[in-house]
Amino acid sequence: MMHRTLPALAALAILAAGPALADITVYTAGPANLIDALSKGFTAKTGIKVNAFQATTGKVMARLQAEAAHPVADIVISASWDTATSMAKDGLLLPYTSPNAAKVPDFLKTDTAVAQGISALAIAWNPKSGTPEPKDWTDLTGPAFKDMVTVPDPAQSGSSFELVAALEAAQGDQLFKDLAANGAIIAGANADALNPVLQGAKAAVFGAVDYISLASQAKGESIKVILPTSGTVIAPRPAMILKSSEHADEAKQFIDFMLSDEGQADVAATYLMPARTDVAAKRPGIAELKILPLDTDKAYNSRKDTLAAFAKLFAK
Amino acid sequence: MRPRGGPGQNALAGLTAAALGVSVGLPFLFIVLQAIFPEIGAGSLADPFSHFASVLGADDLPRETLNTLILGAGTVALSAVIAIPLAALRALTRLPGAAFWDIAFLVPFMIPPYIASLGWILTLQPAGYLQQLTGINLAGFLFSVPGMTFVLTMNTFPVVYFALSRSFAAIGSRYAEVSRVSGATPLRAFRRVTLPLALPGLAASFLLVFAMAIEEYGTPAVLGTRIGFRVLVTGIDGSIADWPVNLPKAALLSLVLVALATAAFWVQRRLLRRGGFETTTGRAQLQERRPLGRWRLPVLAGFAVVAFLASGLPLLAILATALSRTISGGLAPANLGLQNFQAIATDSSGALAALRTSLGLGLAAAFAAGLLGALAAYVATRTQTRLRGFVELVAALPNAAPGVVVALGLILLWNQSALPVTPYNTLGILLLAYVCILLPQPVRYTTASLQQIGPSLDAAARVSGASAPRMLWRVLLPLVLPNLLAAMLLVFVVASRELVASLLVLPVGSQTISTFIWRQFDQGSVGLGMAMAFVTILITTLLPLVVLVAARRTEANL
Repeated sequence: MMHRTLPALAALAILAAGPALADITVYTAGPANLIDALSKGFTAKTGIKVNAFQATTGKVMARLQAEAAHPVADIVISASWDTATSMAKDGLLLPYTSPNAAKVPDFLKTDTAVAQGISALAIAWNPKSGTPEPKDWTDLTGPAFKDMVTVPDPAQSGSSFELVAALEAAQGDQLFKDLAANGAIIAGANADALNPVLQGAKAAVFGAVDYISLASQAKGESIKVILPTSGTVIAPRPAMILKSSEHADEAKQFIDFMLSDEGQADVAATYLMPARTDVAAKRPGIAELKILPLDTDKAYNSRKDTLAAFAKLFAK
Repeated sequence: MRPRGGPGQNALAGLTAAALGVSVGLPFLFIVLQAIFPEIGAGSLADPFSHFASVLGADDLPRETLNTLILGAGTVALSAVIAIPLAALRALTRLPGAAFWDIAFLVPFMIPPYIASLGWILTLQPAGYLQQLTGINLAGFLFSVPGMTFVLTMNTFPVVYFALSRSFAAIGSRYAEVSRVSGATPLRAFRRVTLPLALPGLAASFLLVFAMAIEEYGTPAVLGTRIGFRVLVTGIDGSIADWPVNLPKAALLSLVLVALATAAFWVQRRLLRRGGFETTTGRAQLQERRPLGRWRLPVLAGFAVVAFLASGLPLLAILATALSRTISGGLAPANLGLQNFQAIATDSSGALAALRTSLGLGLAAAFAAGLLGALAAYVATRTQTRLRGFVELVAALPNAAPGVVVALGLILLWNQSALPVTPYNTLGILLLAYVCILLPQPVRYTTASLQQIGPSLDAAARVSGASAPRMLWRVLLPLVLPNLLAAMLLVFVVASRELVASLLVLPVGSQTISTFIWRQFDQGSVGLGMAMAFVTILITTLLPLVVLVAARRTEANL
C-alpha cells in the first residue's frame, strides 16, 4: 500500500503548513528586522496582518515582473528611488499622500511614492587593519590600500551604481582607474563587500551601504563608517502602493503607520535616516552630508554602458 | 527481451506522463514561451523573437558558456580522481571503519555549497582562520579557477563515491576473482572487469556531478565574482536579479544551459548502449572483500585527508564563525560565545519556524520525487509503451535547469490569470519547485539499478503468475530500494536547503532555512547565519543517518 500512502503523506504535510492568508502583502528590500518590527507594530495597532516578502531590490522587482499578469503585492518598498520613477511611468502605482508625510522633505516624496528612510554610501574601514584612517575616496587609491579595498558590484547594488555614476559625473573616471590599478576588487553585493573587511582580509569598502556597517559597529565589530569629504550619494527607499492592490485602504494605513512617530522610530533603530526630518536619527543625518549631484535620468539611460566600462576597468 | 506492454503498464505510463507533464513539462514550456515571447508575463504574445539578436550577438554568451564547460569538466575530472579509488577501496577491501568513512563523506552533502564557499573564504583569505593559526593564507589558490573547482569538488565527489561503491559492491569481487584466476593482476582485473561493469553507475554519477557543477550558483557567485569568472548561471541570475530585469534573456541563456546538459545526457546514453551490465542475476552472492595488508595505513591516511578537507575543515570554519561574538574579533577565547545559538533557540528572528517549514517540505519533496522518479525510471527502462520517450525526455529536463529558471517557469505558469486554483503563494509552489529540480536524482539512481537487474527476474515473476503491479512491488522495488532510498535522502537534504528557487517563489510570510540564512548574510549577520547553517547540517545529517542505519538493519535481517 506504500504507493498510495506516500503521496497522501506528502499532501498532508503541505496542507498542515497551509496557504498564508494575508491582509496586506508587502514586498520589501532589506533590512529584514525593519519589516518585522513595522509589521508587528502595525498589527498591534490596527489588527491588520502583514505578510512580507523580503529580498534584494532586484529580486523584489523580478518577482513583480514575473507576477505582472496576476499581481499579489499591495505595497512595494525598494532600496532604489529609480524603481519608484519607472513604476510610476508605467502607471503601476496608486497615488496617495499620507497625512504623516507632511514632515517628509519634498524631494523624498511624489504623488505615488514616499521615502521610508534613507541610507548613504560611505567608506567602511576596519581600524584594526593597520591602514591609516581614510578621509576621502581618493585615499583608497594610495599605496597604503594596495590590494586592500572592496567595491560593491554596481551591477548588483543600485546604490553602488548611483555612486559610480555620480562620482564619474563629478570627477571623471580617473578615480576608478586608480582604484583598479591599486588592486581593488568587485565583491558581489553589499554584504559580500563588507564581510572580508570585517575579518581583516581587506581594509575598506569603497561605497558601503552605511546602515549595515553602522549596525555591525553597534554589535562590536571593528568597523568605522567614514563619510567622504568630497561628497557621496544617498539612497532614499521609496514605499509605493500598487494600483492593482485589492486592499488599498489597508495599504494606505500601513504607509501612515510607517510614517508615524512609532514607525519612524523603527526605521531609526536600524541606523537608517528616518524620512521625517522631525524624528531623531541614531547616526549623522542628511544635513551633515555633502551630497553629490546626480542626474538620475541621464545616469539610468546610460546604465548599460557605465556598467560595461566599469566591469572592463576591473576585469583581471 | 523487455516484457511486453499490457493495459496495466499503459495506465501506469499514462499516469506518470500526466504527473510529469504538469510538474515539469508545463513550467519548461513557459520558459520556452518566455524566451520567444518577451511579453508573456503580461499575457501577451507580442514581438516574438525580438530578444534573440541582442542576446545571441553579445560576446558574454560564448565566454560564459566556455567558463561553464571549464567548471563542469574540471569538477567531474577532479571528482573522478578522488572518488574512484576511494569507492573501490570501500567496496572491495576490508576497510577499517568503513561506516565511519561513509558518514564522513555524507557530510559534504549536508553543507550547502554557498555556505562551504563562505567557510573556505573565512579560512583561507588573508587574516582568515588558517593565517590566524599558522601564519599563512592561500587566497591566491582559493580565488582562482582551480580553487573554485576544488571547492565545488569537495561538495560533489561524494555523489561519485556513493554511486560507485554501491555499484562495486553489487558487482562484488566475484567477477574480478574469475579474471584473477585467468591470470590478471589485481589492478588489471579492476580496470578491465570491475570498472567496465560499474559503467552505468559511473556515467550516471559523472553526469550528475557535471549537472551540479554547471547549475551551481553559490560558489561561482561568491568566488567567481572576485576573479571576473562569470558562468551561465550567474549570467542568468544577473538578468533576473539585476534591475532592470530581463526575463527573456534569462530564459534564452537557460536554454543554452539546457542544450549543454542535454549533450552530456546524450553522451551518457551512447556510453550505456554499448553493452549489457546485468550483474544481479538472482543467484546468491558471497561478499568477498580483500584484506588491505601493508596498505592499511596509507589507505587510511588518504581517507582521513579527504574527509578532513571535505567535511572537517568547512564544519570547523562554520562552527568557529557561529561561535564568534564578532568576525573582527577572530579566534580568541574572549570572542567566543553561544549568543548566536541562543538567538536561534529563542526564535527571536523566526529561525525555528524556518526550520520546521524546510524540514517538512524536504520530507514531502523526498516522497513525491521518489515516487514520481521511480515510476518514470520504470516506464523509461522497462516498458515499451508509446509514452516511454516522452516520460524519459520530460524526466530528464530538470537536469539542465538551474533552480532559478525552474522557479521562473513555475511563476510564469501558475500566475496565469485564467487558472481557477493555483499553488502559487502557498508552500505547495516550493514543493513543486523542489520536486521539479530534484526529480533527476531518483530517476538516475533507480535507472542505474534497474539496468543492473536482468529482465529474467521480471519474466520469472510474471511466469509465476504475478500481475505487473505485484511484480513491481515484490520483485523490482526491493531490488532498487537501496538506490531509491539514497536518492530520496539526497532529495530531502538538497530540498531542505535549496536557495535560489526558494528566494524567488517563497510564499509571502514564510521563511525556509536557506532564505533565513541568506537574509542573515545579506544583513551582515554572518555569525547568526553560520549558527543556523550548523544546526541545519546537524539535523540533515542525523536524520538520513537514522534511516540508513535502519535500512542496513533491515537488509541484515533479510
